[in-house]
Amino acid sequence: MIDVLLKIIVFGTVVGGIWGLVASGFSLIFGVSRILNFAHGAAFVCAAYVAILLSGSGFNVYLSILAGLAVSGLLGYLVYLLTRPVRKNEVMVIIVTLALALLIQQILLVNFGDKGISMLPLVQGFVELNNIKVTNMRIASFVLAVASLVSLDLMVSKTRIGKKIIATSQDSEAAMLTGIDVEKVLILVMVLSSILAGFAGILYAQIFAISPETSLKALIYAFAIVILGGLGSLRGSIVSSFIVGYILVLTITFLGARWSEFVMLLAIVTILVVRPTGLFGVEE
Amino acid sequence: MRYAKAVLTLLILLAAVTSLCVQGGQKAERGKVVIGVIGPMSSPEGMAEEKAVKLAVEEINAQGGILGYPVEVVVGDTKLDSNTASTEFRRLATIENADVVIGGFSSGVMLTMMETMAETKTLFLADASSPAHAKKVAENYDRYKYWFRVTQNNGSTFALDLADMVKFLKDSGYDVKKVYIIRDEHVWTDPVVEALIPLLEEQGVEIVKDVRVPRGYSEYEQLIQEADSLDADLIMPILAIVGTGDILTKQWVTLKPNILLAGHDLAAIDAELYNKTNGMANYEVFLADGGALITAPPTEKCKEFVEAYKKKYGHYPESHQAYGAYDAVYLYKTVVEMAAKDGEDDPFNPDVLVNYLEKFDASNPIMLTRPIAFYKNHDLMWGDNYVRNWISQWQDGKQYIIYPESVANGELKLPPWIE
Repeated sequence: MIDVLLKIIVFGTVVGGIWGLVASGFSLIFGVSRILNFAHGAAFVCAAYVAILLSGSGFNVYLSILAGLAVSGLLGYLVYLLTRPVRKNEVMVIIVTLALALLIQQILLVNFGDKGISMLPLVQGFVELNNIKVTNMRIASFVLAVASLVSLDLMVSKTRIGKKIIATSQDSEAAMLTGIDVEKVLILVMVLSSILAGFAGILYAQIFAISPETSLKALIYAFAIVILGGLGSLRGSIVSSFIVGYILVLTITFLGARWSEFVMLLAIVTILVVRPTGLFGVEE
Repeated sequence: MRYAKAVLTLLILLAAVTSLCVQGGQKAERGKVVIGVIGPMSSPEGMAEEKAVKLAVEEINAQGGILGYPVEVVVGDTKLDSNTASTEFRRLATIENADVVIGGFSSGVMLTMMETMAETKTLFLADASSPAHAKKVAENYDRYKYWFRVTQNNGSTFALDLADMVKFLKDSGYDVKKVYIIRDEHVWTDPVVEALIPLLEEQGVEIVKDVRVPRGYSEYEQLIQEADSLDADLIMPILAIVGTGDILTKQWVTLKPNILLAGHDLAAIDAELYNKTNGMANYEVFLADGGALITAPPTEKCKEFVEAYKKKYGHYPESHQAYGAYDAVYLYKTVVEMAAKDGEDDPFNPDVLVNYLEKFDASNPIMLTRPIAFYKNHDLMWGDNYVRNWISQWQDGKQYIIYPESVANGELKLPPWIE
């Protein structure tokens, strides 16, 4: 039984790390701008595709990763530009970002087909923890994800720019009146969030494989996690991404792989019925 | 009331006469042969079908077409969705006036398309693996006789191939006592496993767990380790629809368990898998679904076809569906010419062509990229002398057939980490 418990903790933690990166960006955008960015999954896959294609063409792997992150950042800026005229209309924002996501997915499908491509893991091999094999790439991804999330949290809570982000998220008009350039804050948040998603995509492509369809999967996970954590709560998203990781692994262990995503989504719905604002959300 | 009845009768008669005129008109107006190709056109299966059909048609047109008529290709995209598939099939059959439709991957959408095929009485040289399709032909021949499975054997023969694979591994010195199955959560795998269980029991092999995974599933590391903890000797994928067989292979190579990965994994048939996984596809044993591999073409025509494909598109076929689609065009041309030679009034009539396609039976296969013959229920004939899913393996970036000996161009090579 201890073996099983350890397995759930280890796998749940490493699974949660990557989704935490995707969800935190999604949450950050909503928290600051009240924008539900449905193109968030597109940043996840685009960064991975760019990094894979460049590294596969012989470019330095780290430069390829940087290029992937740059593309995801540009995509974030594109989302900012496209949503700016319709920002006050939530439905239009959803339509615009969803249309962008579908457009990017179709472009990827036409050019690369729907089969996965993957990236050679930067670190290979595995370690054994009490007869449980954990790949080094999973561990590296977890460490990098946690480092990114902690840095993000510190940036938001401790720095001057973080205070501007918090101020904008609390009341953008009041923030503007105090001299904060709200538009610059929004650009920063969009770009940064997309880079986080892109970084998660690049890590994901090293452990698994990426295909155009993965963008939808990333979006669904991010959306589910953010709602569970409480829309707009960065820490809530981080905690709930690990909860989702544990639910997934628990289900695979006790009920079978076929039920994994179903149970995860069912658990989220159940939690929301009991606590409609999510685990860390507050009523507005 | 009597007046209304008379008008109604007149209208019906008018409609019938008009319909006959239109049919007659079409026949008289034939200036070309139209071949429809249908499939999920964003997937390698659909793309390969479209490209292969276009290649065959280009070759045929260069030689004067079919009975002197130029051949035109029209394309339908199912998007792997039943409703879209049915609508697209109907468009090809009724608006584009396709004389024959080729393709149709996969089993789920095929069932819907068969209904549209029956309504429109369109010849359908099809690609899907569920035995349910041929069963329909057997149970209601008049309605479904236009359907022939051309691309691969039906799903129930996968069980024969997989049982042979286990036997081959045992005969080659890799003892298999316990098998851990990972399969698609999809209709096509049920009859495969159902048929496989007694075949493995005959060999004294136990299935320690049968895990079903949904489309897009990626957490294989846990499953691999579970197989290890259950002392399985073999992880047997039966994966096509899930679309993540490459991830299973990658994670198997990363974790290096003392278990061989051998089964039916559609991802492994992709000639580009080795590159797509950065060389991590090595040692996977798989079934060459569709009966052909680029590295071991079973016929001369197959050899010519893969090279012509590479020349035209810059790469080898991205999925085995290419062989079936290419064969289907030549098969259609052959039966039309046979019908014309026999003096049939309309050698393009699907009802006539069904009879000619049925002539290719066990004793009379047609040698295309694979030897094609049909059972009475229009299923593709399985066997060493017809089409079967050769047992193959990835070895250092190349796919080899390792069984049966008659076609093998390589031997089983165990991964270095297997004791």
